Amino acid sequence: MNHWQVGILVLLVLLFAGMPIAFALTLVGLVGVISIIGMQPALALLGSTFFDSGRDYSLSVLPLFLMMGNFVVQSGIAGELYKAAYAWTRHRKGGLASATVLACGAFSSVCGSSMATAATMARIALPSMRKFGYPDRLSTASIAAGGTLGILIPPSVILVFYGIMTQQDIGRLFLAGIIPGVIGVIGYMIAVRISVALSGHDLPVEPKLPLKDRIMALKGTAGAILLFVYVMGGIYLGVFTPTESAGMGAGGALLLLILSRRFSWKGLLDVLYDTMKTTAMMFFILFGALTFSNYVNMSGMTTDIQAFIETWGGNRWGVILIILAIYLVLGCVFESLSMIMLTVPVLYPIVAAQGFDLIWFGIFVVVVTEISLITPPVGMNAFVLRSVVPDVPIGTIFRGLVPFVAIDLVRVAVIILLPGLVLFLT
Amino acid sequence: MPETDPSSGKRPEPVPRTLGRRVLAAVCGTMLMAMMALTVCDVIGRYVFAHPVTGATELTEMMLVGVIFLGLPAVSLDRDHVAVDILTDRLPGWIQPWRELLVSILSAAILGVISWRIWIYAGQIASYGGATNSLRLPVAPLGYLCATAGAVAAVFMAVVALRDLRR
Amino acid sequence: QTTLTVANWLPPSHPLVSEVIVPMTEQIAEATGGTVKATILPAPLGPPGAHFDFAVNGVADITFGVQGYNPGRFRTTNVVELPFLGESAEDISVAYWRVWEKYLQPAGEYDQVKVLAVFSHGPGEVFLKDGDPSATDVLKNRKIRVGGGIVHEVVSALGAVPVEGPSSKAYELLSQGVADGITFPYESVAYFKLIPQLKTAISVPGGLFNTSFYIVMNKAKWDSLTEEQQAQIDSVTGEALARMAGQMWDRADAAGRAEMEGKIAISPATEDQMAEWRAALQPLTDAKLAEAASAGIDAEAAHDMLAAEIAAEAAK
Ligand code: NA
Ligand code: NA
Repeated sequence: MNHWQVGILVLLVLLFAGMPIAFALTLVGLVGVISIIGMQPALALLGSTFFDSGRDYSLSVLPLFLMMGNFVVQSGIAGELYKAAYAWTRHRKGGLASATVLACGAFSSVCGSSMATAATMARIALPSMRKFGYPDRLSTASIAAGGTLGILIPPSVILVFYGIMTQQDIGRLFLAGIIPGVIGVIGYMIAVRISVALSGHDLPVEPKLPLKDRIMALKGTAGAILLFVYVMGGIYLGVFTPTESAGMGAGGALLLLILSRRFSWKGLLDVLYDTMKTTAMMFFILFGALTFSNYVNMSGMTTDIQAFIETWGGNRWGVILIILAIYLVLGCVFESLSMIMLTVPVLYPIVAAQGFDLIWFGIFVVVVTEISLITPPVGMNAFVLRSVVPDVPIGTIFRGLVPFVAIDLVRVAVIILLPGLVLFLT
Repeated sequence: MPETDPSSGKRPEPVPRTLGRRVLAAVCGTMLMAMMALTVCDVIGRYVFAHPVTGATELTEMMLVGVIFLGLPAVSLDRDHVAVDILTDRLPGWIQPWRELLVSILSAAILGVISWRIWIYAGQIASYGGATNSLRLPVAPLGYLCATAGAVAAVFMAVVALRDLRR
Repeated sequence: QTTLTVANWLPPSHPLVSEVIVPMTEQIAEATGGTVKATILPAPLGPPGAHFDFAVNGVADITFGVQGYNPGRFRTTNVVELPFLGESAEDISVAYWRVWEKYLQPAGEYDQVKVLAVFSHGPGEVFLKDGDPSATDVLKNRKIRVGGGIVHEVVSALGAVPVEGPSSKAYELLSQGVADGITFPYESVAYFKLIPQLKTAISVPGGLFNTSFYIVMNKAKWDSLTEEQQAQIDSVTGEALARMAGQMWDRADAAGRAEMEGKIAISPATEDQMAEWRAALQPLTDAKLAEAASAGIDAEAAHDMLAAEIAAEAAK
């Protein structure tokens, strides 16, 4: 085994021994760099990486988007979205589950995190679906899957990290996420219909609402729509920059929370404490990943892998399929952020060298990461559902997710075959 | 099962009622709100008064670093560092606290090294008077603050692991 | 054989890399008869501002960067960043190197490294989305995007509103109307794809400002080379390297200017504008020279020598 192969092996051992990802990455990166440039320079680089990397204005969007999502969660907007969506789907079989998927998509447009989306929608949608006799495997799966859209439909915390690691424009990445996100919503609604057809359950159907009532039901969604239009429109029309959109969005979400009359000082303190902790935790993973990628950079790993691809024929689509396979396997065991931090620094130079657009690759990576959130054994969104309804076995949730994962694979195929669809809005 | 959400906050959990956590929440919360307010004032100032806030960029950068490092002791206290526990969950129960201790001590040691190096780096920056671009605020004190917060977080991590071992 | 690692934070296609750093590594190999080889790392090791310390601490053997990315650290740089110094990056860079050797080096700012070159970008001009370029108050209350360094103060002194943001965000700021214009060399306007965003330009005789760059080497690594190798490397760096870098910026500026043909109307600053701007910027020049002098150098003498050397080079 050569230098970097040993490094990767040690990293995997530490990770599976349960060492926090941030420090496992730092340890392997640091020791690797020491072995290449010596103790003193490597330690100096460590100090610089941890102190200089955070002093970057464009990184300020992370805590501000997190804060925006937390304000939106507290404002109770999710319930309004769900009510409105149901007005449009209640006359269909499995209408509540379809409404769940729609509401997840809408909520994703104001919240940058998948788990926050799933957790919020679970509290809103599960009680109704249980009341109407929906089988647990359908109700939990529709929420877990719908929640994954949180990191694809802008704003998205994961796209921000991707943009920073690959020096891609975050505004363009956000715009690129919209169409695949809408395809995701449509796909999950199809998955709901498939599940309903397969389950054989006789689900209740309500009479179709007149158009006027359906339109009236949208009234409660005004806050969310305004917030989304304000953030994305502000970027698109150039009122503020994508970097500024996070602060502006957080301000808008706070205003929304105050208008919803759910504001409390204690609630505010909770939001701030949570945002602070998540920020610290995520940034330390980022710094660890940067330390590790310095090792990758110095060890010649990228060059080795590129040389390997060239000797092996170097078909660019073959490269993408191999990367897809790697992500599907890693996605079984890693959670989303760590997976992206581990793989993107290594893979993006290779993908760029093959002539792929890095904005497109970002969307590809996020969609395969969405799949990782709902595949066993480690599927974070399934775990979220499990923690909201502890009486449902995790196996039931994963079984319910099978049609959703299948539809997701179709979506990945669409993204690979029609890259223009992703880049259309950018 | 990992309780933390790496791609962010589930519904925020109530802040535990310990003084230390509340102080951290208040200090970092103020900085987060200030970052938000700076952006809003900068954008509004630009349109309404044709006058953006001088130094908004560098103040935001410094507060971001402040939030990252001051948030770290809270992450350590609440054991919110993300780890892969798919294999470790299957280990026999008596091993768990020992494995936890080993991993925590190793992590705390690395965090200690990081803090030590930031401290030295801050000294280097102080030696040549490194400052921010527009407001000319000195950068070194921020480095000393980060190093201190990192060291505190390292101690918390080790202490929490030892406490769990005693249980 | 000794191998030197070169840290790079720019894309490989950037002319500073492809036309200065890469040729420099080739010249070092050639001059030393292949006994010293320099290889460029494939990805950045950290943000641009960290690169001087990378050379100090031996993280990489050779690094390059902009002094202005470390505010407060390089006070002598003020001498070369002043307005109205010269038209050609080559002239300014060669003169700057000579002045640096004589007057600026003793300040000790570079004592922790071996300096391979200091040089300057081409002069900064004014670019606007609209407005009458001949009006003396053309910049009054206009929002002008600025980066670091002296530009912020130059723009303020001319009555404009500085909008801060990194150069990578310049397109964003202009296209979204956050900024009405920018002060940049021709090269950077083209490089950051800002031409479609801008309509008029004012070419200021001597330029409104310059940007100073460094290429430095880790001291211990330098000391580990033989005296013969050191002499061989000295023969292709220093003034020769500063000249090569200046020529590159001049070529890039010319290419940028050619690209603007028919898209941006470039007009020279009028007599009235120059009179007004000279007066407005004099206090800034005095303050910057005083700041340079606080590093323990004779800033006036350095400034005079710089002007004389630039004139001598330009006369060639
Ligand atoms: Na989202
Ligand atoms: Na998974």
